[in-house]
Amino acid sequence: MSESRGLHTKEFTLNVGPHHPSTHGVCRFVLKMEGEVITHVTPVIGYLHRALEKICENRTYEQIIPVTDRFEYCTAMSCNMAFSLATEKLAGIEVPERAEYLRVIMLELNRISSHLIWLGTTSLDLGALTPFLYAFREREYILDLFEMTCGQRLTFNYIRPAGVSRDIPPEFIPKCREFIDMFNDKIDDYERVLTENPIFIARNKNIGILPPDVAIAYAVSGPALRASGVKFDLRRDDPYSIYDRFDFDIPTRENGDCYDRYLIRIQEMRESTKIVRQAIEQIPEGEIRGKFNKMNFKPPAGEVYCRVENSRGELGIYLQAADKEKKPLRVKMRGGSFNQLQVMPVICVGHKIADLVAIMASMDIIMPDVDR
Amino acid sequence: MGIIKKLPVYLEKIPGGNIVTTSLDFVFSQSQASSLWYLLFGTACCAIELMATGASRYDFDRLGMIFRASPRQSDLIITAGTITKKMAPRLRLLYDQMAEPRYVIAMGGCTVGGGPFYYDSYAVEKGVDHIVPVDIYIPGCPPRPESLLEGCLALQKKVKRLKMNDWS
Amino acid sequence: MNRDELVSYIPDTFKDKVQLLDTGRAEPFFLIKAENLLEFSRAIKDDPKLHMDWLSCVSGVDTGEHFEVVYSVASVQTKIRFDYKVVLAYDGAEIESVQTVWPGANWHEREVWELYGINIRNHGNLTRFLLPDDWDQGHPLRKDWDAPDFVRMPEK
Repeated sequence: MSESRGLHTKEFTLNVGPHHPSTHGVCRFVLKMEGEVITHVTPVIGYLHRALEKICENRTYEQIIPVTDRFEYCTAMSCNMAFSLATEKLAGIEVPERAEYLRVIMLELNRISSHLIWLGTTSLDLGALTPFLYAFREREYILDLFEMTCGQRLTFNYIRPAGVSRDIPPEFIPKCREFIDMFNDKIDDYERVLTENPIFIARNKNIGILPPDVAIAYAVSGPALRASGVKFDLRRDDPYSIYDRFDFDIPTRENGDCYDRYLIRIQEMRESTKIVRQAIEQIPEGEIRGKFNKMNFKPPAGEVYCRVENSRGELGIYLQAADKEKKPLRVKMRGGSFNQLQVMPVICVGHKIADLVAIMASMDIIMPDVDR
Repeated sequence: MGIIKKLPVYLEKIPGGNIVTTSLDFVFSQSQASSLWYLLFGTACCAIELMATGASRYDFDRLGMIFRASPRQSDLIITAGTITKKMAPRLRLLYDQMAEPRYVIAMGGCTVGGGPFYYDSYAVEKGVDHIVPVDIYIPGCPPRPESLLEGCLALQKKVKRLKMNDWS
Repeated sequence: MNRDELVSYIPDTFKDKVQLLDTGRAEPFFLIKAENLLEFSRAIKDDPKLHMDWLSCVSGVDTGEHFEVVYSVASVQTKIRFDYKVVLAYDGAEIESVQTVWPGANWHEREVWELYGINIRNHGNLTRFLLPDDWDQGHPLRKDWDAPDFVRMPEK
């Protein structure tokens, strides 16, 4: 169109980040632009590369748990869980029944709190301040529950190999029930602000469409995959812990755009409350930690890749142990965001620059997950 | 800052000028301390706690602290999260872009001195004070919002003590 | 297909190209030769019974004696999951890129290249990735790597 008026648009390069309020951390994009339309995206990462994998090679198994906390701090519980699962699988450790229930309760509460961070920051990125305040208000209730259990708000160090670090206090269950009862109404509140909001729909609908075959080819997991119509959730399809005992749905959508990813996460929060409700009903009494030699744990030689479903998709830990050594030979961490960011160049092309923010937000990419 | 810095020099020659200087000092430092706008800078775990402090329950606004997305508009940079060697030049650049007077709060173990990444990490800058001058250190991994508020109050106290002559 | 069927199916199908490793209770691990890597990867993806369309993770490993590159694959359709690896000598460590099979391998391979110095043939984009742009201290995840400002945690 500009050609017909005798104007020439020239392709130019635009740098976004690494310090940009909407990149959720320190991600940098080098964009090639044709006017306002993106023609090429190059993500530049590594601004938060803290060498966690190198650190793990010089720690004992118990000492690695706090390191995994920092790997994906929004859902630190699932990082603890993945590493504990890997260790347990490697050495064949049994986990007591009560510990399994505690794990599931914590994992699902953590999933809700992570989705609330996502909801708050996404709405902030798209110009809505109210849901941010709403989401963080409810998140504090969950953090209170975590705090009374393990004393931390963000980096829990709670799920350990062979169980959990401590039992819940007696006031946990009533408080948790109170939260679950209240929370579904609060989700309705978020939906009332966003779901029908014309600005929110205009910013999200038909933006950043991720076709299912591309999603699978790039191993995009979690809500982003399910929004594209692929019903794949590790809690169902590769069950770990005791997820097979609970009754919950795996929500899916068809379009695979930003709006669908939003709806999936809202739905997932509701499903998580279902799981927590069932778990606090069924939780038995008993031991919380099985046999595990904290100071001198030496597994047999072997290697294992363990994956759990966290709020961003597949979180995997590859663990290779040398024979009868206190320290592992190699710990590799694989976060969901790594592959989600990798697919960004494919789905951003052709969109306007403002949509980059919406797509990045809807993919729920956080940088420690990518850079480690 | 040129005129304001020279102001005490001229005022002192006038009889009773000192009263004006000290009153102006008071007004400037009070207003500065109660409107510390901070740069929205967060790299890792502490950034989540920074957000939580800015949100509903802890509410940064009552200290007059509002986040700004641009370094040109901010007085304070809270280095929330690990600063790696790759990020260090960027932090310096952001600091240089801020208008004076400017302050830095080092939030969390990583920025105070490497924290959990002091040993065995080849990529982490061990202490943000290698890159920018730091006013307040807040330990913790991550610090609770209360600690952050305490740190900000300490910074306010520090700002309130400053005189016009101290401005660089 | 459960674990036991898988453990017999893959060696039956690919004969002497694969070797089953004993890793106890963990999921099956297979060892393949570096020259068969691309062919094997394509075959397990195209095999209708396996249909491994999902590359979870590519991890480089330095065992202190040699390099290993571990591929963790899964399938969305058949829900199978297993791992296979190639073993490489330190000198001239080099593997073929599997991007033509799984496009998502790109970044994982770049990381292996950068942190271990294992060359990836036909990758097309081996540029600085996680480390600073002016990094000149080699490949930090190698076991023998050291640098002047690198502090190891002291043994108690």
